[in-house]
Amino acid sequence: MHELGVAAEILDIALSEAERRAAGKVTSVRLRVGVLRSIEPENLSFLFEHLARGTPAEGALLEIVEEPLRVECEACGVSEAPSFTWECPRCKGTGVSVTGGDSLSILSLDIES
Amino acid sequence: MRPDGNVRIDVERSILQSADEAAAAIRALLAERRIYALNLISSPGSGKTTLIEALLARFEGKGGVAVVEGDIETEIDAERIRKHGVQVRQINTRSTCHIQPSRLLSVLREMDLSETRLLLVENVGNLVCPAEVPLGEDARVVLLSVTEGDEKPLKYPLVFRTSDLLVITKIDLLPYVTFDVDRVRRAARAANPAVEIFEVSATAGAGMSGLLDRIEALRATKN
Repeated sequence: MHELGVAAEILDIALSEAERRAAGKVTSVRLRVGVLRSIEPENLSFLFEHLARGTPAEGALLEIVEEPLRVECEACGVSEAPSFTWECPRCKGTGVSVTGGDSLSILSLDIES
Repeated sequence: MRPDGNVRIDVERSILQSADEAAAAIRALLAERRIYALNLISSPGSGKTTLIEALLARFEGKGGVAVVEGDIETEIDAERIRKHGVQVRQINTRSTCHIQPSRLLSVLREMDLSETRLLLVENVGNLVCPAEVPLGEDARVVLLSVTEGDEKPLKYPLVFRTSDLLVITKIDLLPYVTFDVDRVRRAARAANPAVEIFEVSATAGAGMSGLLDRIEALRATKN
């Protein structure tokens, strides 16, 4: 249920941006979410939809752009993995360090002007 | 203008921005007063409160320790800590599964921190939500007891990536459980190459003095 706080924060940002631009309605919110965040998209959308009721973001769609895990392997360089691992997805070596995959940001909003 | 008649506006903003702002305010408050703060995170029952008690014993007579306890419900932990005669506040988070930085900030503003040198914040017991929300701490400590299993760094990656110290607890129970310490060490280092790893048993005393020495040295860096 950690998506609840995230959904509330998304709604706050969307509403304040929409108000700043005198928008009538928010129709869609694009997010970038890294796999390290362990966000369940369906749960996030469900909670957002619930919280947005009665606000200018009611019915807005959440469009989630997933950010893969980025690992740097000593043996074979930089690599990406679609799901979580502490091993190199290519050579299975453990000499890896994680360099990305923890984004949690709003990219853009679609509004009715 | 998009084909559907709507306008797309670029925002590029962190979803955790307001939490980050509150955390920055905590960091400023701590810096001004030269207080070193630890944010303790683990599953329920891994030994956070026990570590706090060991730290209180270590700093006894040296003074200056304050504690903030986070739990969904009850004052049980605060009452346990209060018996040691230190300043302690309990935050009940109810439906929220972590301490919010805004809440911690207002609690700190109410406390008398004039003599405080070390602040211990015990977060709500879980490995998910507390990992996402910085509290302005100087160091984040994740505790993992050997009874929980050695796959935890794989299942809860973020907390292991963002912690400065990993404390493997209850190592006196290793003969009775399946727990590969090296597997945890490898995964934790992949998550965060700079992580400092300690293996301890609070009941048997193993490894505790090394951990307490390290925390005392860290605290001294902020004198």
